[in-house]
Amino acid sequence: MMGKNLHGFNLFIIILSGIAIVYISYPLVTILIFVEPSKLLDSLSRPQVGSALILSLVSATISTLLLSLFGIPLSYFLARYKNFPGKFVLRIIVIIPLVLPPLASGALLLGVFGPYSPLVKTFPGVEFTQSILGIIIAQTYVASPFMVLSSQSAFESVDESYENIARVLGKSRFETFFRVSLPLAKTGIVIGSILSWVRAVGELGATMMMAYNPHTISIQIFEDNAIGGLRNAIPDIMLAIILSIVAILIFYAARKKQREHILRFKW
Amino acid sequence: MGPVSLKVNDNEILVMIGPTGSGKTTVLNVISGLVKPDCGSIVVDGIDITALPIESRRIGYTFQNPTLFPHLNVVKNIFFGVAKKRSGKNEIEVEIKKLLDDLGISHLTNRRIQGLSGGEMQKVSLARMLVTKPKIILMDEPFSHLDIPTKRKLRLELRRVLRRQAVPTIYVTHFEDDVYSLADSVSLLQNGMIKYTDRLESMLIRRQNNNPTFGFLSNTLSSIQGNYLEGNVINSKGGLTTFNVGSHLLEALGDYSVGSKIGILVRPEDIILSREVVKTSARNLVKAKVAEITSYDVGIVDVHMIVDAFHITSRITEEARADISISQGDDIYAIFKASSPQVVREE
Repeated sequence: MMGKNLHGFNLFIIILSGIAIVYISYPLVTILIFVEPSKLLDSLSRPQVGSALILSLVSATISTLLLSLFGIPLSYFLARYKNFPGKFVLRIIVIIPLVLPPLASGALLLGVFGPYSPLVKTFPGVEFTQSILGIIIAQTYVASPFMVLSSQSAFESVDESYENIARVLGKSRFETFFRVSLPLAKTGIVIGSILSWVRAVGELGATMMMAYNPHTISIQIFEDNAIGGLRNAIPDIMLAIILSIVAILIFYAARKKQREHILRFKW
Repeated sequence: MGPVSLKVNDNEILVMIGPTGSGKTTVLNVISGLVKPDCGSIVVDGIDITALPIESRRIGYTFQNPTLFPHLNVVKNIFFGVAKKRSGKNEIEVEIKKLLDDLGISHLTNRRIQGLSGGEMQKVSLARMLVTKPKIILMDEPFSHLDIPTKRKLRLELRRVLRRQAVPTIYVTHFEDDVYSLADSVSLLQNGMIKYTDRLESMLIRRQNNNPTFGFLSNTLSSIQGNYLEGNVINSKGGLTTFNVGSHLLEALGDYSVGSKIGILVRPEDIILSREVVKTSARNLVKAKVAEITSYDVGIVDVHMIVDAFHITSRITEEARADISISQGDDIYAIFKASSPQVVREE
């Protein structure tokens, strides 16, 4: 049976999928060719690599927390308030950072936070660019669709009757949100947070525009490659790969939980 | 829809019956505050609650689905609506334990929602609603997803529990047997309008007199067209109960308390007619007078009979009627087995 199928549609799918898998994984394999174990540890112990990594982890975490604070209410708003004028425009606005080239996003942000912007004139003491604040602003902007869209989808999958029954049982809208809506959408929100965090860690284009210094891990890779070629950037790349694998594992663990949740509560 | 005017008295169960799409759920949603009315008012205990937010109305509402919170276990679901400020924590716990015992779900408290059966879920949902001490209870076909035996059992229990709670209740359904099982009063809703509201007894009298309004109950709804009879239990043992309806002693399956009043439904198809007393295995035989015969195009006739204290209808084929030549005014014997009646009410 299987043999017969292999001559048909299955074979077609397997060949094309195989090409895609090779295309995606081959660069990861070839990078190992460039690795020189003796130099790897030396390179990793360079202070600028460590500080770039820590800066990326911290700034991405702060960006994700900021996105949770503002993005989760926005996603709830989009999921629950169905009929209001301009909803379509709002949906497009939310997606813009996802579809814009990151450098363009950075340029847009410079318009708001750059040296000649009205905001900087209003707050002259605040360093919006070339600072950690600039990195966080850039990361938050480009990662926002991941948080909002994933959380919106999570809230939409929560049957509104749970919220209605909570209200009937005497809970205010705030209590209903925190005790029912949020816990039931939790897994989707966690997935959105992981995706946002990963996007923030990997952010380059907008960050370069807003804050080339201090270096994040992405900028460190860019700079090491520019100065000394690929071999010079490999330790940073290896770190980024390890970080990505950890994030992917967390993402899949969360998604598995969400699927079990959906299957369990299907009527 | 509307205008809809409804009044439910203290301790009364009003069953609102109407076909799918007649607006039953909308009426409940308006009362609970989930839907805003265009005009009019909702008064509970003399207080106008129309402008109050949902959470301040003190209304108990159970939906068609039990809507138990999947992230909470049974006990957390039950305590969800209990106000933190309510004094006397121990007193509340004793009260809730009593209620759970009454509903037969005490053993479920630490269980996860996911492992419960449909009937258990509805009982937990009912308990969660009752512990909030609502001033009025709204129930939207809570048993519609359950299998028939579970539904029958739960209906009997529900009426007992609601009577004990003594809270005015509106129960909406499109099943006629819910009316007999639960109602003190009945309200007919059709095309978004209340057609009438009346006590169950008055409705039965009107129906027996073939009031055209009740064609709705019998013909419009996809439910059994039953003969509803009420009687007092004289004897009950070994799974067989004897009860009297007027001067007639009838038998039905099941054990019920002696002295209690039970209501039974007998399907017209289950009633056999005979010209003379015949010895059969059927336990119920009553002498009746044919009041009216209704013919249907499909070769079926309904024979409506008067049995001094009550009315019953038998549904037979046109051929069967011709064989024993039944006419209006004839004396006849109506026979049905003890397994035919469905006990839908006990109090």
